[in-house]
Amino acid sequence: MSHDEKTCKQLILDCLFEYEDGSMPEEEHRDLQRHFEMCPPCMNFLTTYRATGKTLKMLKPREIPPALAETVMAFVRARSKTEKR
Amino acid sequence: MVDEQATADLELVRRIKAGEDEAFEEMVRRYHARVYSLSYGVLRNAEDAEEATQDAFWTLYRKIGTFDESKKFFSWFYRVALNAAYSRARRRPSLPTVAIEDRMPRFAQDGHFAVDVPDWSVAIEDEAAARELAARAGEFIAELPPAYRDVIWMYDVEEIPSSDIAETLEISIPAFKSRLHRARLYVRQRLSEVSSTRPAAEAAG
Repeated sequence: MSHDEKTCKQLILDCLFEYEDGSMPEEEHRDLQRHFEMCPPCMNFLTTYRATGKTLKMLKPREIPPALAETVMAFVRARSKTEKR
Repeated sequence: MVDEQATADLELVRRIKAGEDEAFEEMVRRYHARVYSLSYGVLRNAEDAEEATQDAFWTLYRKIGTFDESKKFFSWFYRVALNAAYSRARRRPSLPTVAIEDRMPRFAQDGHFAVDVPDWSVAIEDEAAARELAARAGEFIAELPPAYRDVIWMYDVEEIPSSDIAETLEISIPAFKSRLHRARLYVRQRLSEVSSTRPAAEAAG
């Protein structure tokens, strides 16, 4: 922790995104990991940031209406006929 | 792999431009589910999402001639679909958008957290509770200014590659990352608020 000069603010606002997306150099990642491990508020923030991501994955609609492709094609076909007239 | 997709798309685009109906039908089969999913994200309603999907393909049918073949087709079409969904959303009573600054994390002068950070992550271990939170998260995304709403929906929900999103929205990768992070911070904060509203006694019990 001694040479970790980042404040919680810098960690959360400036570094967290890259800490999570895997693009951060390993050494920097390790330094920041130490901050998280030593700092309960930051650790809770990280945990809930991750939980937010997991929650968002559940939002994708699981069901596509049956026959949607056919409905779309029929719609475009019908509309292209009327618009040509 | 992505390039193969783009090449296959381009070939279809050319066949559609040449007036081949089968090519258009193949395009519908290829992308209707993704367009529907995106529309659903914006509109949160199956019927509206279905109509927005029809609108998007109708625009594709009419405007394919204006597509610049040096660009990635899906990015262009995603933008078309997004506009179709927004145009339907605008017909409904609009939700006020929020000032996301008000919900960014708070820090003390020395840069440390000014307030306690509750850990509510255990809430999502229960399937039903997680679904409920997801529904709330959808509402919170809808409150965001469009620039933030689009990136978080496309990346965290739809899982579209960042480079495709940046191209679709015509923004730089750093701008994409910055918006996405702020959108996540906002949604996280809102989820914290609704997850921490239970009385302490109940939460403990």
